[in-house]
Amino acid sequence: MRRLAGLRFILVSAVFSIAALCSGFAPNARSLPEPQIASEQNLAVVVNLSNPVQNLSMPELRRIFLGGRSHWPNGRRITLVMIEPGQPERAVVLGEICQMHETDFNNHFLHGVFTGEVLVSPKTLATPVGIRKFVFNVPGAIGYLRVSDLDPSVRAIRIDERGPEDKGYRLHVPPRSSK
Amino acid sequence: MNGQNKRARKGTSAGPAALLDRVLALASPYNSSLLLLMVFLVVIIVGLFVIRDLHATNVEAQKMYAGYVQGLQRIGELQYEVQETRRSTFYALTTNDSNLQLEYADQSREADRLVNEGISQYLRQARIPQEIEVGRRLQLDWSGYLGVRNEVLASILEGSTKEAVNLDLKGGVPSFERVRQDLQEIKRLYDEQASQQLANVAATSRRTIFRLIGVLGITLALASASVWAIQRSKMLGAIQLAKLQMGFVASVSHELRTSLAVISSAADNIADGLVGGKDQLKSYGSAIQNQCRQITELVNQILLFASTKEGKNRYTLRPLQVSRIIDAVLDNTAELVRGAGFVIERRIESGLPCVMGDLSALSQCLQNLIVNAVKYSGESRWIGIHAFVHDSEERSSKEIRITVQDRGMGIDRLEMLHIFEPFYRGAAVTAAQIHGTGLGLSLAKSIAEAMGGTLSVVSELAVGSRFTLHLPIVEKQESEMASVTSKPDPSIRT
Repeated sequence: MRRLAGLRFILVSAVFSIAALCSGFAPNARSLPEPQIASEQNLAVVVNLSNPVQNLSMPELRRIFLGGRSHWPNGRRITLVMIEPGQPERAVVLGEICQMHETDFNNHFLHGVFTGEVLVSPKTLATPVGIRKFVFNVPGAIGYLRVSDLDPSVRAIRIDERGPEDKGYRLHVPPRSSK
Repeated sequence: MNGQNKRARKGTSAGPAALLDRVLALASPYNSSLLLLMVFLVVIIVGLFVIRDLHATNVEAQKMYAGYVQGLQRIGELQYEVQETRRSTFYALTTNDSNLQLEYADQSREADRLVNEGISQYLRQARIPQEIEVGRRLQLDWSGYLGVRNEVLASILEGSTKEAVNLDLKGGVPSFERVRQDLQEIKRLYDEQASQQLANVAATSRRTIFRLIGVLGITLALASASVWAIQRSKMLGAIQLAKLQMGFVASVSHELRTSLAVISSAADNIADGLVGGKDQLKSYGSAIQNQCRQITELVNQILLFASTKEGKNRYTLRPLQVSRIIDAVLDNTAELVRGAGFVIERRIESGLPCVMGDLSALSQCLQNLIVNAVKYSGESRWIGIHAFVHDSEERSSKEIRITVQDRGMGIDRLEMLHIFEPFYRGAAVTAAQIHGTGLGLSLAKSIAEAMGGTLSVVSELAVGSRFTLHLPIVEKQESEMASVTSKPDPSIRT
């Protein structure tokens, strides 16, 4: 009996210990931080320095990138500039902003131009440098660049009141391969 | 003799020509040095003028190059970049490839950056108001064109070719034309400045040529004047020499004729039996002896001078006691001095060292000085001979000085330069009809120099003259004489 009583004590202690441990770690497990993303890996939406627009909501941005809006508030014609297919930046824009695959995006513009619903088709450039120069030269241009590719010749706008350096910014691009 | 006096008087009062001749006569011993100095100075002056003018011309040319050639080069580059800006914009119109269009846009912007730099540089270097005004206008017009160019480029990149062309036709062409006119205006200003600078260079060159001609003319005139002066000086020297030689011949002839006349008349009287008695005959003989001695001395002087000039004299130098030399001289001239009623004051320092010399020659030298003192003492009947040791002015040692001093008529300051020239006789001496050959001092000086010494003179008109014979001491005795003190030995001999 004494042996059984001792065994019962050990079991009860172990149960309480486990319960205590579980009760002590539970709040910490609930407040684990989200994975940290360096701001250099964010994708900035850029416009010409003369463009007065500072902020766009994601739906407005989607409309612009799908050719549904033709002019800026200052009257300048909107010119969409995109990097060539196959680049991670383009994939992020198609996925996060346009919410389409490459084929759907192309079909959208083919259809839109044919029916007249889309007035401006996007310009396609080979490199981020080309995009930056294009946006610099064209007052109504809008494009996108990695934060690491930004320079003072263009200006990044905020999306849903969040800039590329802010927490909660939604456009992330995978790092470039070392090749 | 009277003619010479007249000429002498004429020479002192005949105006600039005579004055020039006198100056030339004074300068004649220094002809070569003067000519060299003059040529040297003239060459330096000409060289300085030429260097200065060449430098000025060079500076003007450099200014012209910097201001015009480089300016035109800058304008040319500016025009090229302006065209390049527009050309690159047009090239972007020729393709639909956005990447290529961006390259053309880059080219256009690079060209416009260079244009802006060129305009800024032009404005920095602009000096006159027109340049500043046109520079600012160009800056303004270029900014206007760039505004249109940017719109055109944007339209091209957007793909609106038609709009780009319309924009260019509407705004680009007129604004670019204004830029082109501004550049033409700048070029016109450069042309005007270049013309002005060219005129300056031409004026400087003309001025340089005139100056060179002037300087060369002056040089030629100076050279001609120098040659003329030298020739005239030589001619005057030759004339003077000829006159002196004629005077010498006349003087010698006169001396010879006087003595010969005395000898001849004495001989005639003796031959005619007019001389009676032993005493009278003795007196005649003595007179003939004196005259013969005078003739002999005269001939000896001439022969000595001739041998000195031909360099035939061979002196035997040996150590001599100074007192011995002076005593020999006084012995030789005793009769002359006594006959003329002179008193000679002889002072010889005690313990004088020996001098190296030829006794006969040194005696002749001092004898000439004493004879001159007798001739030119006038009413004074005093001659001083003084021998002493003194520091040499030419060497760093001591020397023996023997002075022969008189209280006679003295020598004019201008004539002092010539009294040692052979045959020279001063105007005052000639006027006073004092006979002589003009060889005595020349011979004395030659002898002094042959003994390694010199002969100097100090004289003042109507006060007297002092001739000093400077002789080197025999080297062995120099150290002994360092301690010699000046203790005069005033032994007076009459």
